[in-house]
Amino acid sequence: MGLLTNGPPARVENGSAKAAALPAGRFRTAVLETVFREDRLFLILSVFIGVFAGLAVVCFRFSIDWCRLYLLGTGAVLTPSRMILAPTLAGLVIAALVMHLFPATRGSGVNQTKAALYIYNGNIPIRTAIGKFICATLAIGSGHSLGPEDPSLQIGACLASTLGRRVRLSRDRMRLIAPVGAAAGLAAAFNAPISAVLFVIEEVIGHWTAGILGSVVLAAVSSVVVSRWFLGSESLFRIPPVELKHPSELIAYAILGVVGGIASVAFATGIATLRPRLKALPRWTQYFQPAAAGLMIGLIAFLGAPQVMGAGYEAIDEAMHGRFTWQFLAVLAGLKILATTLSFVSGTPGGMFAPTLFIGAMLGAAVGGVEHRLLPHLTGSPGTYALVGMGVLFAGFLRAPMTSVFMVLEVSGNYSIIVPVIVANTFAYVISRGLRPVPIFDVLTRQDGLDLPSMEEQREEGVLHVEDAMRPVEVPVVNAQDSVEQALREANSAGVDGVLVRLSPSGWSSIAKQELQAMVDAEVGGASLSSLLSDRRIPYVHPDLPLETALRYVDRWPLVPVVSRADFRKLEGVISQRDVLERYREFGET
Amino acid sequence: MAESLDGKPAGDEAPRFRLHLTQEPVTLVVLAVLAVVLFAWVGGLSRLYYAQREALGNRWFARGVEDARTQKYSAAVIEFRSALLYNRDDYAYQLNLAEALIGAGRSAEADSYLVNLWDREPENGVVNLELARIVAQKGDMEAALRHYHNAIYAAWPNDEETKRRDARLELIEFLLNKGARAQAEAELIALEANAGDDPELQERIGDLFVRTVDYERAFAAYRVSLRSEQHNPAIEGRAGEAAFELGRYPLAHRYLQAALTANAEDTRSAELLKTTELVLGMDPFQRQVSVAQRHRIVVEAFKVAGERLDHCSTQKAGEWQTNVAQTSLAQRWTEMNPQITEATLRRDPDLVEKAMDVVFDIERQTSTSCGPPTGPDLALLLIAGLHEGN
Repeated sequence: MGLLTNGPPARVENGSAKAAALPAGRFRTAVLETVFREDRLFLILSVFIGVFAGLAVVCFRFSIDWCRLYLLGTGAVLTPSRMILAPTLAGLVIAALVMHLFPATRGSGVNQTKAALYIYNGNIPIRTAIGKFICATLAIGSGHSLGPEDPSLQIGACLASTLGRRVRLSRDRMRLIAPVGAAAGLAAAFNAPISAVLFVIEEVIGHWTAGILGSVVLAAVSSVVVSRWFLGSESLFRIPPVELKHPSELIAYAILGVVGGIASVAFATGIATLRPRLKALPRWTQYFQPAAAGLMIGLIAFLGAPQVMGAGYEAIDEAMHGRFTWQFLAVLAGLKILATTLSFVSGTPGGMFAPTLFIGAMLGAAVGGVEHRLLPHLTGSPGTYALVGMGVLFAGFLRAPMTSVFMVLEVSGNYSIIVPVIVANTFAYVISRGLRPVPIFDVLTRQDGLDLPSMEEQREEGVLHVEDAMRPVEVPVVNAQDSVEQALREANSAGVDGVLVRLSPSGWSSIAKQELQAMVDAEVGGASLSSLLSDRRIPYVHPDLPLETALRYVDRWPLVPVVSRADFRKLEGVISQRDVLERYREFGET
Repeated sequence: MAESLDGKPAGDEAPRFRLHLTQEPVTLVVLAVLAVVLFAWVGGLSRLYYAQREALGNRWFARGVEDARTQKYSAAVIEFRSALLYNRDDYAYQLNLAEALIGAGRSAEADSYLVNLWDREPENGVVNLELARIVAQKGDMEAALRHYHNAIYAAWPNDEETKRRDARLELIEFLLNKGARAQAEAELIALEANAGDDPELQERIGDLFVRTVDYERAFAAYRVSLRSEQHNPAIEGRAGEAAFELGRYPLAHRYLQAALTANAEDTRSAELLKTTELVLGMDPFQRQVSVAQRHRIVVEAFKVAGERLDHCSTQKAGEWQTNVAQTSLAQRWTEMNPQITEATLRRDPDLVEKAMDVVFDIERQTSTSCGPPTGPDLALLLIAGLHEGN
């Protein structure tokens, strides 16, 4: 915006110039002040947050694996007794821990991080991280159908919050520090920094600002460096060669998008329907809900689908490499929806990212398998479909369309897959939105009695612009070279209270008829307006600016010119306080 | 942080800011130290974690190898899968799993592992050979040839020459089963060039040449084999058969006779020997045959051909009456028949060839219209083949 006002004087930023004029003690203070400004400290802290979150996630992964070894055994084939007993007994322990020691660890962790940002000024007790670590380890390690990514996100956010409190950050910074930790935790868990940054921006913070973006990126990158140091740089699953055989194959991906959209709706509906019902049951039942969920998951595994237990990365890997028939893949997708719904609604702490990827991969590979049978020469490998399927469910179920695309790109490291991913994800997203207008995270928030901002609603909220409220120019417009008498004549003939003055070489001003009349009466009517108005510039706005920008000026200047961006002297219209308020009133009514 | 316009802390914020100024460097140093300590601690934890995983992986792998060795492929598959849980990228684990899957008859599952292994090491002989087998089963000739050739020129961990030779032999079998005789023969020639004197290999090469209908090379291979195993009746029989097919009846007689002497049960050699003897006994153009004997043979052959013609015309009466070539053949035989006696042949030696021409024409024609001949007719037909174009 080309506003020309007399603002406060620019601050002196040059430290050396300042230091030269100061005594030694104050010089030291000035140097420290320059070096340790809070925004810089925040950036440095982001690196530490990344490192600590990365280390925590590495330990979390080790713990889950150890837990799995001891509870489910070391072999690829589980014994029936372990299959059934491990998740059931672990469920009892988890329920006791959640109900008596760590009540804030229920759920995935994404909403809790959002709540920290919007409600609790960025404060998340460290106890939550400890509880999440223990409970999620037990849950995932014993075979509950949940993933480690969302808990990692919450653990990262908790660590960041604790660090922020320790260094006594300001309230504004404290609010932002939880998402920074969340990005670090998620990046380390996913081994995908870009997707983590995007997810946090897209789903937790909701908007892009330069201030937060730098910190989020730094934290995510440093946490990924740490996790790769210990866990290696390989992706969570081995990616087979991906290919788009022929442009007509996009139709097949569109079908995958439709199927994925419907599956997302089924998954979300299951959780949204069952969760409040189970929560409404008597409190004593909550001691047994995770165990009951565990028992049912154990039975599913016992009846032939042990792949649904735990995060399921091995099964995703196998599906990607074509090791299941399409029929079995479809069954696995359905059973995973059931198993994850059971685990999640029972209040067992754990994430939904991994199950979402699992369901997507199975569904994708199944659809790919069917299409390959029908059109063997036109379809790519099942791995390609599984990969696209993961993005589809991410877009449809978690409703993070940007993250879903970048996640697939980042995980596959193959740019050629972008078109199928966009096509499939778009279909899934549109179908999911059409059938379930409220995203699952927002549903869960509202079920918990909170009112956190919906990022999807925010993204799509209508924004009013200046052009929506401006009106045509009705007042006379005169040039700065014109005389006062000429301007008064224009005002009289138009029957208005004043005129707008186009200054030279650029800028605008205005003058009231009374003022002009007073000058004429004082016999200075022959003077040019420029000599009188050189220091009376008024701000101007452009038609495409948000209407709230105009709101800042219309109370001080009765009429604000709206000028073209291409030619600042060309007047597109004018806007007044009444115009703005009128437009907001109409908008509110619609 | 709220500040006044000149950049100084304002109001209540001032003490906090001063606190920051003094504490922040300390805080950052403490954080750095903490990070280093935690890093070292997680490093120790990580070593423990990976050591345990490696031990578990090796334990499951050893079990899998043992089960695969005793052909318990289903159990081996589970054990190799378990080993892969602890090191999913281990080449040996994956390769052994793929082989166990093939052993368990689950080639489709093995395929994906092999493709993955091939991506990592396209020059690996075992992987190429297994992939070649799988794609060959699917009927993808082009991919099978590619993988077989890769296997032939691949790096093998041990006994490279034998592995390469076996891969080529397998390729030849595949090509022969697919009816690609020319390609199979080309591979066989390449194999033969490096085969050495190994009697078993030469015998196999001979058998394969027989299948490509290259009896010359088959016979040569059998002879090389017989140099090392002089009295192997099976090879002698097959060498005799190759010589028989080449029309080298005296040689065939020698080998078949030897084979039959060693193994009287060899019915195939006996049958061929019988035919060979007939050929040798009924060929009037042999150099060592006396004139009188030749005439006797011609008379006998002419009679045999006449009987064959007669028998065939009775069998295919309707067709013979309408077929001009066959009618003229019968006419030629009938016209010449009175002249074909030993006395007439002695007077007119030119009649020998004319008579035999009729005999050969009759045998060729009847073999086409009345089915393959047997006994003396077969011998005459083979003799016709020997003297074709003369």
